Amino acid sequence: MNNQTLITGRNLHRHYQRGSETVRALDGVDIDVRAGESVCILGPSGSGKTTLINLLSALDAPTSGELIIGGRRVDGLAEHELVNIRRGLLGYVFQQFHLIPTLTVAENIALPLLFLGRRVDPADTQRVLEAVGLADRAGHRPNELSGGQMQRVAIGRALMIKPRVLIADEPTGNLDRATGEAIFDLFQTTVSEQGVALVLTTHNLALAERCDRTLTLADGKIVAP
Amino acid sequence: MTYATFAWRNLTRRPVRTTLTAGGVALAVAVAVSLGGFNLGYRNAISGSIEQLGFQVMVMAKGCPYEAATLMLKGGTGLIYLPEDAHEQIRTDPDIAEITPIFIGIAEKQGFALDGSPAASSFAILTGVDTPSFLAMKPWLQLKTGRGYDGGRWFAPGATNEIVMGYEVAEYEQRKVGDTFYATIVPHGSVEPRQHAFTVVGVLERTGSQDDGTVFLPLHVAQQLFARDGELTIIGIKLREFNAIRMREFEGRWLKIPEVQVVSLEQVKGALVSLVGTAQTMVAAVALIAILVAVIGVVNSILMSVHERTGEIGVLKAVGANRAQIFRLVWFETLLICLAGAIPGSLFAAGAARLTDAALRAVLNIGVSQSLVRITPELLGIAILGAVILGLFAGIWPAGRAASLRPVAAIRSGE
Ligand SMILES: Nc1ncnc2c1ncn2[C@@H]1O[C@H](COP(=O)(O)OP(=O)(O)O)[C@@H](O)[C@H]1O
Ligand SMILES: [Mg+2]
Repeated sequence: MNNQTLITGRNLHRHYQRGSETVRALDGVDIDVRAGESVCILGPSGSGKTTLINLLSALDAPTSGELIIGGRRVDGLAEHELVNIRRGLLGYVFQQFHLIPTLTVAENIALPLLFLGRRVDPADTQRVLEAVGLADRAGHRPNELSGGQMQRVAIGRALMIKPRVLIADEPTGNLDRATGEAIFDLFQTTVSEQGVALVLTTHNLALAERCDRTLTLADGKIVAP
Repeated sequence: MTYATFAWRNLTRRPVRTTLTAGGVALAVAVAVSLGGFNLGYRNAISGSIEQLGFQVMVMAKGCPYEAATLMLKGGTGLIYLPEDAHEQIRTDPDIAEITPIFIGIAEKQGFALDGSPAASSFAILTGVDTPSFLAMKPWLQLKTGRGYDGGRWFAPGATNEIVMGYEVAEYEQRKVGDTFYATIVPHGSVEPRQHAFTVVGVLERTGSQDDGTVFLPLHVAQQLFARDGELTIIGIKLREFNAIRMREFEGRWLKIPEVQVVSLEQVKGALVSLVGTAQTMVAAVALIAILVAVIGVVNSILMSVHERTGEIGVLKAVGANRAQIFRLVWFETLLICLAGAIPGSLFAAGAARLTDAALRAVLNIGVSQSLVRITPELLGIAILGAVILGLFAGIWPAGRAASLRPVAAIRSGE
């Protein structure tokens, strides 16, 4: 595990225009994510967690401030240029799982490779299926799975591209306590075994305490490091 | 997995909508293929029928060339006659390779029509021919042999009651060599019908032309029976060299006979083709509307599916899809839906060609025996290719919309 900085954000602002009013969803945030560490973003609803995580995963660009992901400047890029930043570097896990209902578990997991133009190696898929504990569900459709299993598929999909950073927005938010903990365990194993960095948001303080670092957001600002 | 399989899975998500949309495409393609087949087949049928006449030029009494055309192909009514001495004059023309005088008359035969086919009508087309020159013009005419047809021959010189029957009319009347055939003729200038008994001396093999429905008898016998001595219906001519220049020269030489006109069968062909031109334009308009509706259906269906999958498309972008890839995916879907309609649609049109032919015949009796609808592999290929090209165009808008979705907004709206 090295200490290479994968993501650097300085004085990040993300403002939304709601009618005539400007919503300062992020209001001057500094953040660093280093290889192999887990960073938890805490904060009440509406505090800007999703907004921040969208910036860190290059799904969105900051209104102002400096953002470097994988050594490349992100601020000032247009939406269609952001895809080149996140491709092959970032794996994304959503609160709502967002699996493709017409594809099997194995196909959902292998889907990102289609867009990266990489060949699907069945051995790779199998390895990921085993890592997320779904080796016996490869041929199932998402609607045949439980919430926890769906989130495992989503994690598998994020891992398939061998990312440097795994980003998860409230990955346990839609799961019951026990399932949420199991999913969190899976994240931790992944971090320790594959050396990827993990950035996640949660409401759950117990889970937050198990991360290497915790940031707390309130009204778009970091209130406690 | 490939884009095509992924696109296909997306389409199967809404089977009813996909089926209906593809059905619209299938309908449009079927109409277009049938129309194309009609265009091809009709020209072909006319060319075929005209070739079977054996001559390229005919001389007939002045009148409407359309009438002339249908007359030749159907032996229609409203016959007009020209003087026989025109034949004596024209046969001296140096450009002529073959020339044959023909007399056509309509007789009533015994029996009655069971169906609408020419052979089944209660009228018989009696054609008076000069055997040597007629056979020189149509060397393919063969007398049937075998049981009941042995000894078949053309008329003996001087015979007055001998006939040779075309394949279909003989079949329908159940006549063989040696049988008697009765026909009732109203001679020119009289109102009194007269019945005649003819002996069948020969039956022709099938030709696939109007000859199959014709009863042949010696030219002079026919003229006498109809009380039109010295009159002909047409003179068929084959030139030594047939082209537009020769044709014009020939026509110019014989303008001097006031009662006659020289008609090239190319002209007749043109007249017949333009006869259905209007109908074809109308069908083409219907086909165009069907295609337009189908394209709108495709655009609408794919737009709806893009709209429904807004969140999903955002997710695809989040996991690494760029604009071009999303565009390609949705484009593939449009293409697949078009193919899923075009292939069965064109196959259906090919399978239903006989039905289309029968339907066309019901409204368009022009007396050609070949099929009016001819669907070739090339035609099917063009139809499918056309559907693909339309699909490519139809896909641009929905695919463009999908490609330009912003992932964050898309994912949020999908929640
Ligand atoms: N697209 C948007 N347009 C306008 N306001 C937005 C938009 N996205 C988020 N916001 C606002 O920004 C603030 C932070 O939102 P968010 O990052 O989703 O918070 P969290 O994820 O912590 O609940 C909220 O006040 C929210 O209403
Ligand atoms: Mg949130």
